[in-house]
Amino acid sequence: MNTPNRTATATASAMALALGATGAAQADVVNVFNWSDYITEEVLELFTEETGIRVVYDVYDSNDTLEARLLAGATGFDVVVPTADFMQRQIAVGVYQPLNRDLLPNMEHMDPGLMGQAASFDPGNEHGVIYMWGTTGIGYNIDAIAERFGDDFEVDTWSLVFDPEMIAQVADCGVAFLDSATDMLPAAMNYLGLDPQSTDPADFEAAAELLESVRPHVRYFHNSQYISDLANGEICVAIGWSGDVFQAADRAEEADRGVNVWYAIPDEGAMQWFDMMAIPVDAPNPENAHAFINFIMRPDITAMITNYVWYANANASSWEMVDEDIITDPAIFPPQEVLDNLFTAVTYDGRTDRLITRLWTRVRTGQ
Amino acid sequence: MNPQAPDPLLPVAARPAGAPLAAEACPWTDPAARPFIAIRHVTKRFGDFTAVNDVSLNIYRGELFCLLGGSGCGKSTLLRMLAGFEKPTEGQILLDGQDMAHVPPDRRPTNMMFQSYALFPHMTVEKNVAYGLLREGKSKAEAYARVAEMLKLVKLEPFARRKPHQLSGGQRQRVALARALIKQPKLLLLDEPLGALDKKLREETQFELIRIQETLGVTFIVVTHDQDEAMTLATRIGVMDDGVIRQVGEPHQIYEEPASRYVADFIGTVNLFEGQVAMAAPDMMRVDTPALGAVNTRPVPGLTRGQTVWLAIRPERIGLSRERPAGDANTVQGVVDDVAYRGHMSSYRVRLAGGQMLRVTQSNLDRDADPISWDEPVFASFSPAATRVLTE
Amino acid sequence: MSAADNSPQPARAPRRGLARLLPTGRTLVIAIPMLWLLVFFLVPFFVLGRISLAEAIIARPPYSPLFERDAEGTLAIIASLENYRFLLQDALYRNAYVSSIRIAAISTLFALLIGYPIAYYIARSPEPRRTILLLMVVLPFWTSFLLRVYAWQGFLRREGLINNTLISLGIIDQPLVMMQTDFAVYIGIVYTYLPFMILPLYANLTKLDGALLEAANDLGASPMVTFFTVTLPLSLPGIVAGSMLVFIPAIGEYVIPALLGGPDTLMIGRVLWDEFFQARDWPVASAVAIVMLVLVVAPIMWLQSVQNRRELQ
Repeated sequence: MNTPNRTATATASAMALALGATGAAQADVVNVFNWSDYITEEVLELFTEETGIRVVYDVYDSNDTLEARLLAGATGFDVVVPTADFMQRQIAVGVYQPLNRDLLPNMEHMDPGLMGQAASFDPGNEHGVIYMWGTTGIGYNIDAIAERFGDDFEVDTWSLVFDPEMIAQVADCGVAFLDSATDMLPAAMNYLGLDPQSTDPADFEAAAELLESVRPHVRYFHNSQYISDLANGEICVAIGWSGDVFQAADRAEEADRGVNVWYAIPDEGAMQWFDMMAIPVDAPNPENAHAFINFIMRPDITAMITNYVWYANANASSWEMVDEDIITDPAIFPPQEVLDNLFTAVTYDGRTDRLITRLWTRVRTGQ
Repeated sequence: MNPQAPDPLLPVAARPAGAPLAAEACPWTDPAARPFIAIRHVTKRFGDFTAVNDVSLNIYRGELFCLLGGSGCGKSTLLRMLAGFEKPTEGQILLDGQDMAHVPPDRRPTNMMFQSYALFPHMTVEKNVAYGLLREGKSKAEAYARVAEMLKLVKLEPFARRKPHQLSGGQRQRVALARALIKQPKLLLLDEPLGALDKKLREETQFELIRIQETLGVTFIVVTHDQDEAMTLATRIGVMDDGVIRQVGEPHQIYEEPASRYVADFIGTVNLFEGQVAMAAPDMMRVDTPALGAVNTRPVPGLTRGQTVWLAIRPERIGLSRERPAGDANTVQGVVDDVAYRGHMSSYRVRLAGGQMLRVTQSNLDRDADPISWDEPVFASFSPAATRVLTE
Repeated sequence: MSAADNSPQPARAPRRGLARLLPTGRTLVIAIPMLWLLVFFLVPFFVLGRISLAEAIIARPPYSPLFERDAEGTLAIIASLENYRFLLQDALYRNAYVSSIRIAAISTLFALLIGYPIAYYIARSPEPRRTILLLMVVLPFWTSFLLRVYAWQGFLRREGLINNTLISLGIIDQPLVMMQTDFAVYIGIVYTYLPFMILPLYANLTKLDGALLEAANDLGASPMVTFFTVTLPLSLPGIVAGSMLVFIPAIGEYVIPALLGGPDTLMIGRVLWDEFFQARDWPVASAVAIVMLVLVVAPIMWLQSVQNRRELQ
C-alpha cells in the first residue's frame, strides 16, 4: 500500500488555521476536512473525474481541533468528519445542517444496525452518515513484545499499558498514548472495572490517577505520530485507533526492515466509535457536499477506502468487495462476541467536558 | 606615582627644560655607551609590501626620540614592532639587552599611547588609568592611590569619574598619557600623540609632554609626521622614508646639516640647486650651478672635481639688498617676484636670471621704513658657511 | 494640525484656511505605523481581553456574550476575572510560564555561547570571507522553518542519523533517546534562533575598535582578560539585543516543543494551543495569552528604560 496522503500533524492544521479559512464558495469545488491518513487519493480523483467537482482536502488529527474550528465559525468547509459523540453536542449548538435525503440515494446501502447505533448520537441520522468506524486498542511491535515477554505472550489485556510494572518493561522501546481524553479516560475507567460511560467526576479522577501512574513510561501523547513511529520501530507500543495501527503494520511490511506491527482489542473491552460525515450549517457548497457524501456511500468507493485505510465501514453492500483478509480480520470487523464487549462513547456536557479537559491536561503534562 | 620618591627609572641625566644638551646628556656621542633599545637590521614585510626595510637604530635611556616621516613611511610599523603588535620579518629588537622576539605585548616593559587614544569607552577616567595596574595584580586601594597621583600629574583630578565621551580632546589625550604611564614603563611609545589636537593646544601640550617625560625620566619614542613637533620635543630625530631611516640626529643637526636632499626638503624650507664641483680643496670648495653660477661653499672632504652635487641653502641664511654687498659672500642678482609679510619676518621669492626661484626670508627685527618690495631688482647674498653640499 | 500651529519655530509660516485641517506630512508618516499597530496589535489585543473576561460555553462563538438583557430588558455587562483567578489557582499555568521562561532562558544562553564566537569570527574575518559567512548564517531562512524542524527529527530519532552513526562507530550499543525530550527542544530552539543572536552581535562586534584590544593587551591584559574586560562589556548592547530576539519568541514557541518535545516539555505556547484547540476554552486561552504578553512586555520595557538611562549618562 502506498501512502499518498500526508501524515499531517496538528501542526499542519495549525498552519492551515493561521492562514485563515481555506474553503471557497465556488460552483465546482467541495471543501473536505477529514482526519489524517483516512482516505485514498484515488477516491478524490475519481470523484472529480465523475462529477467535475474539484476537492479541496485538508486534515486534522483530533476532534478537539475540529470542534475548535467549527465553533469559531465560518470554516469554509463543506464536509467534516466528527466522531459521533462530538457531533452530538455540536448538533445541539446548531453547527450542522440536516441532510437532504433526496440527494443521498446511496443511503440504502448503509447497514441499519450500525446506523441505528449512530442514531443514539444523532436521532434519525438526520445530520450525518457513518464514514468509517473502529475501535481504540493497542498497536504493538510483535518482536519487541516477544523479546520482553516471551513468544507465547498474547497481547490481550490493557495491563500491557495500564499496569505500571508491565509498561515499565516496554518503556525503553517507546510507548505512545493517544492525545485524546475521550478515548483514554473511558479506556482507563473500563480497565479499572468502572463504567466507561460514567460521568461521575470520581470515576474520571480514578482514571486520571491510573494514567498518571503509568505516564512516566510514556514517550509522548499524539494522535497520528504513532503510525509512522510504529512502522519504523521508533516505538513498540501505542494506544491507537484500529485502522491507523493497521496502516502502520502495512507500512512496516512495505519497508521490509524487519518491523512487524499488529493490533489487538483487549479482552477487557474497548471503545467503539463512529466517524460521521456531516455538513456545517454555513457550508459554502452544500450541494457539492451532498454529492461527495453520496459518492462515498457508493459500495465500490467505500470498499476502496476500507481496503486502503483498514477501517471498518457501515456500508453493508460494500462488504463483498472488501478484501478477504480485512473482512475476516476480527480486529477490524470484530465477531459478535467481541462486539458485545465494546462500549461506545457518551457525549459530555460543558461541565464534564471542562473537567475531563483539565484532568487530561494534568495527565499529559504531568502537572 | 610620587614624583619626589627616588625612581629606579630616573635617567642618568635629566635634560633641564629649554637648556642645550650637556655633553653627558648625549650618550649617542659616546661610543662606549650601551644603547637602551637596539634595533638591528629589522625588516617588516606585509606580503609583497616592505613597510620597514633593514632598519638599525640605537636609542638611549632617557631619550625622547622622534620618528619623523610622512604617512606610509614605516614609522608606525616600527613603533608597533617595539610594542609587540607586529613581529619583525627579519632582524632583532633588544630592549635593555633582552631580545623581545618572543615577548608578547602584555609582557613587555613598554606601554603605548595610541593615536586615537583608544580609551575604553565603558570605563571612567579613573578605571581607564587603573586598568594596567589592576592587570598587574595590584590591590584596588594601591592602584587607585597611584591613579590619583597620576591624575594629579596630568591635571585631571576633577574628571576622575567621567567617561571618555564627556571629556574634551585635550583631556582625553592626557588620560591616554596617564594610562600609558601608570605602569612606569621602561619605554613609552607615542603614536602621533598630539595629532588630534588643534594647533594652539598642541603647542602647549608639547611642553607639557616634555615636562612629564623629564619628571618621570621614562624613555619616549614618539612617532609624528609634524616636523615642528619633532623639533620641539625630540632629543634626537630619526627621519624615515619608504621604510628606511634617512638620517638620525639632534634637531639642529637634522636642520642645519641634512644628509640628503630628502631630509633637507622634508625639514623646513630649503633652496636646492644642482651643480658640479668645480674646485675641491681642503680649505675651500667651489660649485658651478646653472642657476647661481659659481658658488663658494663650505669644504666637504671626499668630493672630487666634476662630481654632481646639490646645494642646499636655507632661506633665512640669505640676505637681500638693493646694492651689491661688499665682501666675499656669494651674490646673485634677481627681481622680487612675490613678497609675503608674516609678522616676525617676510618671505620673498626672487626670480633669478635663469628663471629659477630663490626663496629668502628676512627678519623684521629692524624693519626699515622702505622695505624691498615687488618687482625690485635685488642682490641676494649668502656666505659659504650658509651652504650645504649634498651628494644624494 | 495643532502640531503645526503650536510650532515654536517662527520661521514656519502658519497654515491658513482649509490647509489647517489637512494632515501634515509628518503626522502622515507617523500615522502609518500607528495605524498598523492599532489594526494588527491593539484591536486584537482588546478582542482577546474581552474574550478573557467571558465564560466558555459550547456555542458559536464558544464564549459567553459581553452584554445580556435580563428579564426587564435592561442591558447588563457580564464580565469576570474568573479566568485570571483560575490561572493563579491551577499550578499548571504557573509551572508552564516558569518552564517556558526557563527553557527560553537556557536556550538563549546556549544560543549566546554558540553565537558569540561565530559572530566574533565573522566580524574579524576579512571581507570576501565575511560576506560568505554572513550568507551562510542567513541561508537557512530560505527554507521553511517547519521543514528544518522536521529535519531534526531525522537526526534525533531512535533510528536516526546520530544514533546510527554512534552505533556503527561502536560508541554506544543502545540507541540514545533524544526525540521527545527537553534536549531536543533546546536543540530545536537554539538551532532555529541562532541567526537572530548572531546578526545583532555581529553588527555590534564589527564596530569594535581594534585599537582598544591592542591597548588592553599593551597594558598587560592577556587576550583572555582583554576579552572579558573590554570586548564583552562593549558588546553588551549586542548581547542584549540578540538575547531579546531569541528569548521573546522562544517563550511563546509552539511548533518546536510540539514536534520535538515530549509530554514533560511544558511550554506556554503549547498550553495556549491546547486551551484553544483541545479544551476549546477561548476565555482561558485568551487570559493565558494576555498574561504571557504582560510577562514578556514588562521585562522588555524595563530593559529598554535601563538602556535609555545608560545612554543618557
